[in-house]
Amino acid sequence: MKKSDGISAIAWTVGVVAVWELAALVLAKGLHDPMAASKLPLPQDVAATIAREGATLAEAASVTLSKAAIGFAIGAFVGYMLAVLMSVSRTAERIAFPYLIMSQMIPVLGLAPIIFNLVRNMDASRIVIASYITFFPVAANSLSGFKSVDLEKRQLMHSYATGLPTTYAKLMLPFSLPYLFAGLKIAAPMSVTASILVDMLGSKSGIGVKLLYSLYGGAMDVFWASVLVSAAMGILSYALVLLVEKICLPWEAAAIASAGRAE
Amino acid sequence: MRERVAKVVLPAAVGIAFVAAWQVGALHVLLDLESFQLPLPSEIVQALAANLSKALSDCGVTVSGAFIGMAIGSTFGFLVAVLATTFPSWGYGGLVLVSALNSIPIVALSPIMNRWFSTGMAQKVGVVTIVCMAAMAINAYRGLNDLKPFSLDLMRSYVATKREVFFQLRLPNCLPSVFTALKINITSSMIAAIVSEYFASSTAGLGFGIKNNLRKAEMAMGWAYIVVASVVGIALYLCILFAERRATRWHASQSAGAETPSGEGAGDKA
Repeated sequence: MKKSDGISAIAWTVGVVAVWELAALVLAKGLHDPMAASKLPLPQDVAATIAREGATLAEAASVTLSKAAIGFAIGAFVGYMLAVLMSVSRTAERIAFPYLIMSQMIPVLGLAPIIFNLVRNMDASRIVIASYITFFPVAANSLSGFKSVDLEKRQLMHSYATGLPTTYAKLMLPFSLPYLFAGLKIAAPMSVTASILVDMLGSKSGIGVKLLYSLYGGAMDVFWASVLVSAAMGILSYALVLLVEKICLPWEAAAIASAGRAE
Repeated sequence: MRERVAKVVLPAAVGIAFVAAWQVGALHVLLDLESFQLPLPSEIVQALAANLSKALSDCGVTVSGAFIGMAIGSTFGFLVAVLATTFPSWGYGGLVLVSALNSIPIVALSPIMNRWFSTGMAQKVGVVTIVCMAAMAINAYRGLNDLKPFSLDLMRSYVATKREVFFQLRLPNCLPSVFTALKINITSSMIAAIVSEYFASSTAGLGFGIKNNLRKAEMAMGWAYIVVASVVGIALYLCILFAERRATRWHASQSAGAETPSGEGAGDKA
């Protein structure tokens, strides 16, 4: 990212907050909307609430995030292993790939209540859904990474008489890493969303519970603070993957602006 | 020919075996479930057959909401990409902002839209619009700007104006990326529509149907709704795939491309 891009991103953020402020003012003062505080509160009010409720919000957020992270890790691992398996064996790919595509088209989050009904355990269903959501983009992207290894490179490895494990360790796995991260970047905010959704289905703690209780309890300031916190959580998860990518793949850092190449 | 048979028969056989195992109860034994938790496939089919018209009308509500939202969101997203291309120094920041929107959980958006719009349909369309905007903006931007080396130089050597470069080089070049975005959006718009119905005051739609049936402990009907949603999702996806094949026949990605994970073309190398 160029320096001017950073400045323009900051300028945009400031602009959005300004528009928000203006819209909220118009809604409250100009239109005298009695629901103004619940439709669009002033940004500084929300910020004050976040500061006031900071501790409880952070605690709720960490519950939700940690569960999302476990599911995310499991899903990423399974997805990557599946991609390796499919790249090694064409039979495995033939069997699994059509279902991979189909599983992408099933509205997974729509399944959340059903999975909850199946597992009957908050944490387990959270992890199951987050990993299910993660595994597809990771598997599909990694597989396309394995497939984009030049044939010449594989032939070179073959001419050195390297076995399958060495070929994977030296050539295939490193080559597929950028694709793996492209998948992880798509999956990270989705797994956070999944975790929040499961919160809302009847968990006892977590940011989703805060959202729901404040929504039904009429505590609109807390509600808006929770919305902002959950949005920040989604963005944070994406930024974390980006950071890990930067550390693991410094040679890709230059191309980082073109995030999510194979989505 | 053998290739084709293997491509169809193998996955189909595994799928049928799976459903059969589910039907005879092997799945229940394996996962330690009772039949009221996970209904048998035959029960799901029966429930669907008994309530077909209700399921279809609910499905129509959700799909129309998802579709309108996707159309609006994709258009907006494309405009953002065009703006970011036209004004590169300022546009990039806007793009970053739109991708930040993408990370906002649907479940947080949904109650806000609930406040803003009184009808369930408008609320649904609002959520889907925001969800679809980012994928289109990011992909279209990439398509508009990842030009072949020298093609821009060539246009310059023809003294092409910015306008001509846009319409004759960038626009055709972004078509495959636009279809990639549409494929992502089809799925995510269905998900967003269903999830937003969980929180809406509406009493129609697939999401409401799933929620309501689970509350009444009618698991089979809840599963039937999932089946309907999946079938519709797959059908819409195939429509986009068909349109893509027709629209980008000239493009290299149709014969050699590996840019989409959907694997058409990519899987036929060996």
